[in-house]
Amino acid sequence: MSQSKPLANPVNVEYLYDGSLPGLYCCVYESVYEKEIPLDILAEADAPPSLLERRLILTDMEKAKRVRASIPKKISARAMELIETVFLSCLEKKEMAILRFLLFAYRHGKNAADMWHHPLVDPLIKAEKHLLGERHLLLGFIRFSDYDGFLFSTITPKNYILPFLKTHFINRFSNENFMIYDKTHGAALIYENRNWSIVSLENADIREPSEEEQSYRALWKQFYNTIAIEARTNHKCRMTHMPKRYWENMLEVKDLL
Amino acid sequence: MDLMQKLTILADGAKYDAACTSSGGDRESGGRGLGSTIAAGCCHTFSADGRCVSLLKVLLSNHCIHDCKYCVNRNSNDTQRTAFTPEELAELTIQFYRRNYIEGLFLSSGVMKNADYTMERMIKALELLRYKYDFWGYIHAKTIPGASPELVRRLGLVADRLSINIEMPSEKSLKLLAPGKTKSAILKPMAQISSGLTQNKQELALYKNAPRFAPAGQATQMIIGASPESDYQIINLASGLYKGYGLKRVFYSAYIPAVQDSLLPSVDTNPPLLREHRLYQADFLMRQYKFEACEILSESTPNFNPYLDPKCNWAINNMHLFPVDVNRAPYEMLLRVPGLGPKSAQRIVHVRRSARLDFPALKRLGVVLKRAQYFITTKDHPRGINMGRETTLRALIDPGVFKHGMEQISLFGPSGRALPGASDVKQVDEAVEEAVLCLKASL
Repeated sequence: MSQSKPLANPVNVEYLYDGSLPGLYCCVYESVYEKEIPLDILAEADAPPSLLERRLILTDMEKAKRVRASIPKKISARAMELIETVFLSCLEKKEMAILRFLLFAYRHGKNAADMWHHPLVDPLIKAEKHLLGERHLLLGFIRFSDYDGFLFSTITPKNYILPFLKTHFINRFSNENFMIYDKTHGAALIYENRNWSIVSLENADIREPSEEEQSYRALWKQFYNTIAIEARTNHKCRMTHMPKRYWENMLEVKDLL
Repeated sequence: MDLMQKLTILADGAKYDAACTSSGGDRESGGRGLGSTIAAGCCHTFSADGRCVSLLKVLLSNHCIHDCKYCVNRNSNDTQRTAFTPEELAELTIQFYRRNYIEGLFLSSGVMKNADYTMERMIKALELLRYKYDFWGYIHAKTIPGASPELVRRLGLVADRLSINIEMPSEKSLKLLAPGKTKSAILKPMAQISSGLTQNKQELALYKNAPRFAPAGQATQMIIGASPESDYQIINLASGLYKGYGLKRVFYSAYIPAVQDSLLPSVDTNPPLLREHRLYQADFLMRQYKFEACEILSESTPNFNPYLDPKCNWAINNMHLFPVDVNRAPYEMLLRVPGLGPKSAQRIVHVRRSARLDFPALKRLGVVLKRAQYFITTKDHPRGINMGRETTLRALIDPGVFKHGMEQISLFGPSGRALPGASDVKQVDEAVEEAVLCLKASL
């Protein structure tokens, strides 16, 4: 199978797209039908100036739909899930990784996403693991502040994980109103009156916390400091489990930074 | 006394309980009430000692009628006493939970007046949380030894996990150090919970809406290093508890001297952290790697090898079973290869269906080859890497040993073989060389 003619050959062109997932699917369409592999695929908004030849790939919903439908049909539903997760991850040059994987997987068929040992599949699996790992940590590390019954939290994750936090927190706090503000990606998950939405948000104004809120923060900090056993102090172990980059949003350790 | 002082005293009294897990239950709120639980558990922060903080771990009260020698809350200890009211505790739990500080509550208590009175207070606080505040987060409750069966049952209906501390690894030590407690007062409720769990499983199979009894099972804890039991006795006890009582976890807590007593190690001893670490390793081997206690230690070698973790120790004593072919060996055998854990073994089994594995492929799967390489054959190494016993040994020596302040693995008994101390050896390399020599001679 791998000896057969490649689907596409390298060319000296960079693709520019609008940064959306349908946009990326259109790049895949272009690559397959032009039988070429571009040097790179860049989101138009943050592409640095370059002397290389560039082609702007316009987002066409029809083409995107066709590419999207082809993935579960020619590969597997799992491949689809993998790609859509990796697209939200912080993997460098994720667009090219996804394109290369797809070109390989169209040929290889339904097992492609399970070939974890393959050099074209491995980076995607690792990126997915990184994203899901960060999500799992944040399920615990997120700290809400109560502003008159509205819960507010700021996070600074590397991956775009808001869609993956949604179910957990809505389920847990179904009777509350809350917002998780992702400062890195300028977006927020809002849950109010049993309706949720994810909106883009550049800035969040944070009011002074109420007296009650401050007293619970103080109680929590006191509990945190009391629960550690002095004879077992192990800062390295703490850092392994709770990397320092999360500390800025965690009130009990913020002051230790 | 204000809430801040109470919390400080009652958290301080509870901190020596090792368990803080929130695993074993999966419950959605279903759109009403507050809270849910997730099967894998969830750590909300890590304290300065590197332990996971998942639950609000407090005592309901630190008044105690018992005088267990090793315990900070024993009645002869001159310390400030206080108790939460059920309302205070419920409100605090809810407010911490809403802010996502915690996954739930871990409630233990000193024994006020008698076991039943204490249990009733605990049940009152938990029923308040469950039924008045509609709280469906995780609750771990400690059963009080000697409590009546009816109260144990009621506690199980409001808690996710129950536990009752076995305290000491033998009845003799228990009698000596915890004169108020007896083996039967501990094992009776444990057996009751165990049969209650089995019965509840049947009820749930018949009626989906039957009340759930301790859905996350039961656990226990014992103190290591305050009494002279050997490691073999301890893991045999643990194995018996897993098999006989269906426990989810046994926790081991390195004894931290809190008080001077002629029956206890002196207050300036370091907690036996390396020994505790080895016990957890052996415990994992029994629970997740399908090892039997008698494969890990035996009457003739009753204590852990300080230099090697129990799995490497087993492998080096069973070299005739290796190398194994990663492309063919059954899952159970892959699990026995030093350096391969359940995750690596599962990945290998998953991927080898579509390809034959070599070293680069294993590396991409995240398999750590430092130790495993000497015990496996692959596509590119069909006969395995045989580097001789010494090289293999050197790769297996646990570098962590030399970080634990070189403490002795056991304070008592003939195994108290001293490790080279930081002052004895200039460099860890030298210590490793010495360990290799020492091991080569003894194997």
